[in-house]
Amino acid sequence: MNVVVCVKQVPDTSDPDTEVHIDSSGRDVDRSKFSFVINDADNYAVEEAILLKEKHGGEVTVVNIGPETANQVIRMALAKGGDSAIRLEDEKFEFSDAVATARLLAAAVKDLGCDIVMTGCMASDDGYTAVGVALAQVLGLPHAAMVKSVEVVEEGKLKVAREIEGGLMEMIEIQTPCVLTIQTGINEPRYASFKGIRAASKKEIKLMDLAATGLSENEVGEAGSKSVMAQYSMPEIGELAEILEGDAAETSVKLAGILKDKGLV
Amino acid sequence: MSIEQGKFVQKYDLLGCIQCGRCTGGCPVTVRTELNVRKFVNDTIDDNRLEELSEKPEIWDCTTCNTCAIRCPKGLDPFEVLLGLRSMRAEEGNIQPTARDALESMFNNGNPWGKPAAKRVDWMEGIEGVEKVRILEPGEKADVLVHTCCTAAYDPRIMPLAKNLVRVLEAAGVDYGFIGEEEKHCGSEARRLGEEGLFEYFDEENTELFGQYDVNRLVCLSPHCMNTFKNEYQNLNLPVTHYTELIAELIEDKKLELKNEIAAPVVFHDPCYLGKKNNVFDEPRYILSQIPGVEPLEFLRSRERSLCCEGGGGKMWVESESKEQRLAETRIMDAKDLGAKIVAVSCPFCLLTLEDALKVKGLEEEMRVADILELLGEAM
Repeated sequence: MNVVVCVKQVPDTSDPDTEVHIDSSGRDVDRSKFSFVINDADNYAVEEAILLKEKHGGEVTVVNIGPETANQVIRMALAKGGDSAIRLEDEKFEFSDAVATARLLAAAVKDLGCDIVMTGCMASDDGYTAVGVALAQVLGLPHAAMVKSVEVVEEGKLKVAREIEGGLMEMIEIQTPCVLTIQTGINEPRYASFKGIRAASKKEIKLMDLAATGLSENEVGEAGSKSVMAQYSMPEIGELAEILEGDAAETSVKLAGILKDKGLV
Repeated sequence: MSIEQGKFVQKYDLLGCIQCGRCTGGCPVTVRTELNVRKFVNDTIDDNRLEELSEKPEIWDCTTCNTCAIRCPKGLDPFEVLLGLRSMRAEEGNIQPTARDALESMFNNGNPWGKPAAKRVDWMEGIEGVEKVRILEPGEKADVLVHTCCTAAYDPRIMPLAKNLVRVLEAAGVDYGFIGEEEKHCGSEARRLGEEGLFEYFDEENTELFGQYDVNRLVCLSPHCMNTFKNEYQNLNLPVTHYTELIAELIEDKKLELKNEIAAPVVFHDPCYLGKKNNVFDEPRYILSQIPGVEPLEFLRSRERSLCCEGGGGKMWVESESKEQRLAETRIMDAKDLGAKIVAVSCPFCLLTLEDALKVKGLEEEMRVADILELLGEAM
């Protein structure tokens, strides 16, 4: 059971007091005051990959697109039980959307001969929830998104639970190789000790630039993106909410009127 | 293999133990947990049993109050064996999620509370009578370097202590300086949770950080920080004291005027890390005696026998399995029996745990828990 797990290094915004400011370019946020951590959902994916390895054997490969500072996140995953790692870095990769990112990850992953590619279901910085699914498309593999449990049924077949609306779980059988995007809460991630992370620095992190991916300039970065970040802005503070008074019968009439007047129904 | 070569035998000098039982006899948490430190000292002689012993939940009940170490007639530190077992769990990554989160936050944010590093000095805003708190630049000279403590920097209940410390320093004309945004966790709680590697990281980082200032002494708000900088750092060449020691000096030198009355019976609760661990008992009492109106009371269990509040030893992040009454609650009931109106403390963990206990017991109308810094703030 060989698993590839894709990890992203993101700003730590878990605390509600964290301040996020738009930078001078308007196309990014000011990163100077952030702490950087592994994306939460990816942390759960790493744990799930390691659990599968502990139960079924095989190897776990960690893949990341990022600068040298992302090594911290990669080494943590290696310390938890990852066997090897690949980091993709090239200035041409900047401003890649989900599709371009998926092409990059696919380039790293496609020849590894793995059974499962895992990503976190969503990145906590941009929140697009798209890369894992796009990756499955680029690789031509089946996928399951928002996965809450993974079970190996037999060689070549998994049973996974997908968390859908209303807290319902959809149980599906999926063939490997496949892509799974992992939802938070699937397990309880272990701790990687400081000494453990330092020891993991001895494991190899293979670097890949644009040339190594075999992709062209038009397939990556802004040039290869179907959607391009135009501008960040703060929402304007509008008027206060209108509270409708009265019992259910009265307020529903008022609400229906408002919806009709505003052309919403 | 002879037992003399056992891992724990070597590290903790276990063969020195005579199994007299004074450790467990004095251990404050034995009233509410299964913890028997004497048994652990005996059992960890066997290397083959270490894995199994590290899985026992009671190793997390120890508060590292130091009672066992003080009482041991052979000069051993029995609680260190428990930290050694915690260390095994930390290296395996097999620790409670709350401990994991605290440790990860220590590294990522420089504090165990999950708060952003960028907000480390936000507490310095809005201090009565102080326009700007002095933060030192690298290479800058001052008499006293102050270390705030993560809990004082971020916990809204403890921020007033830090603010009052600034007011005291300003009023007494002390040549002080704070570290600023670069200030981070001392490493004490990292070590108590078994993370030796992370502790060594903080030792290195902080030693280098403090080394860039030209200062004569380091003063700490928390006894835990003070203890670690003073007794556990490998290469820190600075005299380290707790704020009570500095303020006692200031009062003796007549640099601080305490004119407002606090007319109340006040009992001082000796923090374990100030008292048992570092033998500072008199200075807090001296300060209280100089506040007009204070009627000083003493617990039966005072000084070296002070009853641990269960805030130290990583307990702020790892809950005990026991459902028995917490020691902090026992302490509050003792204060009530004494007729105290104020329980005075000088440690952020004591303040938080004792105040929680006060609320649990529903005694907020009758008594309050206050840090000496809060009382000084009222008296100044």
